[in-house]
Amino acid sequence: MKNTGLKKEISTSPPQKPSDALNPFEEFRSFRFRKEEIPLDRIVQSAELVMDQIRLGYERLLEEEAKELVWMVQYNTIIKAYEVAEKYIKEIDYSAEDIEDFCFALENTQKIPYLIPGPAGIYISALCNYAKEEEIVLKLSELKTEINLVGFRLPKGKRLMVEGDTGDFTGIGLEGGEMVIEGNAKNWTGAGMRSGKILVKKNIGLHTGEWMMGGEIYVGGRVRGLGNIVEGKVYEREKLVYPGKARNPNIYY
Amino acid sequence: MTEKPIEEERLQAIIEEMWPRLKRKHLFPEIPVPKVGKVTDLSIEEDGKDDSTERRVGLEMKEKQMTINPSFLSSLKGKMTEEGLIEALLDHGITHYTFCPWDFQTHLMLYAEAKKVMGDKESAKQATNYFIDVIADTHCVKKRATEIPELHRNLKKGNVEEVIASLYQRIWGIDLGIPSSNKEGKDHSEIVRRLARIPYLDRSRWSESIRKFTRSLKPLLLLAQQEQEARGGKGDSNPQGEHDMNHYSYEEIDEGLREYAQKTMGLSEFREVVEDFSTELKELGYGIEGGMGRGRGAHIDADILFYMKLAEHYSIPVKRLPLEKTGALHPHSHTPWEVGLPYQDIDLWTSLGKIMPGITQTWKKKEGKGRGKIEGTPDCLIIIDSSGSMINPRKNLSYAVLGAACATNAYLRNNSKVAVYNFSDAPMGGRDILDYTENREEIYRALCKYFGGGTALDLEDILPLIKNKKDLDLFVITDMKITNLETLIGFFGKIQNRITAVHIGENPYASRFEKAVEKRKNINIFTVKKKEDIPHIVLGSIREYFNPVNRGH
Repeated sequence: MKNTGLKKEISTSPPQKPSDALNPFEEFRSFRFRKEEIPLDRIVQSAELVMDQIRLGYERLLEEEAKELVWMVQYNTIIKAYEVAEKYIKEIDYSAEDIEDFCFALENTQKIPYLIPGPAGIYISALCNYAKEEEIVLKLSELKTEINLVGFRLPKGKRLMVEGDTGDFTGIGLEGGEMVIEGNAKNWTGAGMRSGKILVKKNIGLHTGEWMMGGEIYVGGRVRGLGNIVEGKVYEREKLVYPGKARNPNIYY
Repeated sequence: MTEKPIEEERLQAIIEEMWPRLKRKHLFPEIPVPKVGKVTDLSIEEDGKDDSTERRVGLEMKEKQMTINPSFLSSLKGKMTEEGLIEALLDHGITHYTFCPWDFQTHLMLYAEAKKVMGDKESAKQATNYFIDVIADTHCVKKRATEIPELHRNLKKGNVEEVIASLYQRIWGIDLGIPSSNKEGKDHSEIVRRLARIPYLDRSRWSESIRKFTRSLKPLLLLAQQEQEARGGKGDSNPQGEHDMNHYSYEEIDEGLREYAQKTMGLSEFREVVEDFSTELKELGYGIEGGMGRGRGAHIDADILFYMKLAEHYSIPVKRLPLEKTGALHPHSHTPWEVGLPYQDIDLWTSLGKIMPGITQTWKKKEGKGRGKIEGTPDCLIIIDSSGSMINPRKNLSYAVLGAACATNAYLRNNSKVAVYNFSDAPMGGRDILDYTENREEIYRALCKYFGGGTALDLEDILPLIKNKKDLDLFVITDMKITNLETLIGFFGKIQNRITAVHIGENPYASRFEKAVEKRKNINIFTVKKKEDIPHIVLGSIREYFNPVNRGH
């Protein structure tokens, strides 16, 4: 760090000749503009560079997986899209803040032409899974779009905290990671999860924990409907609702 | 007794000596010489005692006048040189005028964005103030030689200020003596990391940047708000000066509101911001002239203000007609010219050949004695439909009301009077009649009234407004779904006044109306398929209408 007292001096001009007085910009003659760099310039520039790379990866994912701008949520399409996303993400050096910035950039059509919720969610999940940080906080409460598929395959040792709501298929195929959603989550949350923990502080939608093979889902508010759960536990307001006799799968509560 | 003024005089002398250099450093901004004197410090005024020795207001900015607080200077004695401290405060103050927020519209825009994140007026104002300060100080540190970092090193800091100072350390690369964790041992490095990524100096991205800034700072701002409430609402003052409406002159506020209305084009957004600032606007006596409210304490009708400000963007010339008057108009006295006033009345000699508000003078004309025909603008009767099929102007932007508002402005600018007949189901009482007046606010209030329900005119209401008016223009805005349309057609067929009729969309009633009056040269009809076209087509067509080629009589 440098210390203060650095002076960008504006040199004193010599006495002006009478003929110079005609120039209305005479006062500026002696002003020498010096381009001063501060660390902010470097930080912003490098963040922009990373964002460009992330954006490019997403655009390539769309080119490969959503050619007609249509994308169906199926087991094989999810797996394939994730593999493509992995391929591009592995090459990028990014931080958790870059993921958050990307989420907001998705809503800005000037920067990213298409927001297709499925591939976008898969791509964000891959970004979270390959991030350097063990704990990732995404402040998404002002995001107008709820992102689907967030937390797909979140591995053990990773903690993903989402401030705001998430869309469908939150935390599907969870692989030991921990997800905390401060708001609501929609349908099919925790579907096919193998291990790990999902905590939804508000309400959760239908088909919760469909084909889940293990792990726990905690819901602070109401569970609208449970899916066909194979193994694992679901709690509603600290009360165990699966396994238990009180609730049948896929019934609207 | 004399000690204080002497001290102030000494400080004033220091300022006056450094002022030419400071002006030069900031590329000669149009700002008067700063003063030394008493400043308003709410944190002291609220409880009467001053226990915040280093959290006083150091700088006050009212309109463009900066005032340095001598008590603040003495509180930092020994930590910084007096000259350095004054220069740092003035650098900061000047940058508010030369870079951020620059104008009132930018300030409003930043506030509106911050409020979207905070949801609360006070904390949104706080977030905006912090953001504006970060930009101003960062701009100064990057572009000028300044003592601002030294000032920050010596200021007493609360929780938020400490995080902001950590941010400065990171983005300026200057050690301000801030440890990585604060007094309570809390590590705010995550917040600082997020804040440091914001492109503060990129003006085009400020709206996006302030959302990110506020989002990152939100937990701390909420905490600070809770602490403030626990202390009975007493908050710390900003040593670098508060950012409120006092910064701006009446004209700047007026222009800011006009620009903001145009930029957002959203009634609810505009209303929200105006209501949040209503206390300050009322304090300024805003709108006494031009009629928004009735002076201090009066309620500000944000909806009317929205249409007023938006309509000011559209200026249309009105072609004059030969009118019978008792005497010809002659130039009587001068009045300052404003944007929107006719050019033909400008007095070039006293305006020094310049067309510039504040410099240019225009002739105010008075009627002399005598009798004859002179060119003039007739009064106008605006007939506006506010039935259920029209947009409620108080809920959404109504292009019909905007069009009528633009027409109102055009007539009022030419010293004519405007009457309003606002109707839905008139025979059943769904109508409002405003007699000929020059009071803009009354006219706008009548235009903004919304009845909903059916659409029927009552000629009995209109006839008294037309009677005894030899020269009168009629301006009708409706969707033409009028149940007694035949009566209206018949009535228009009998009168010779110039009529501008505007209807929305294609419908059988509109076609019937068009067909019925197509041969009437004094009636001009405009069909608009998109509501957004209304203001332009109305304005354009008025111009076309007043064009002598198209004139009916």
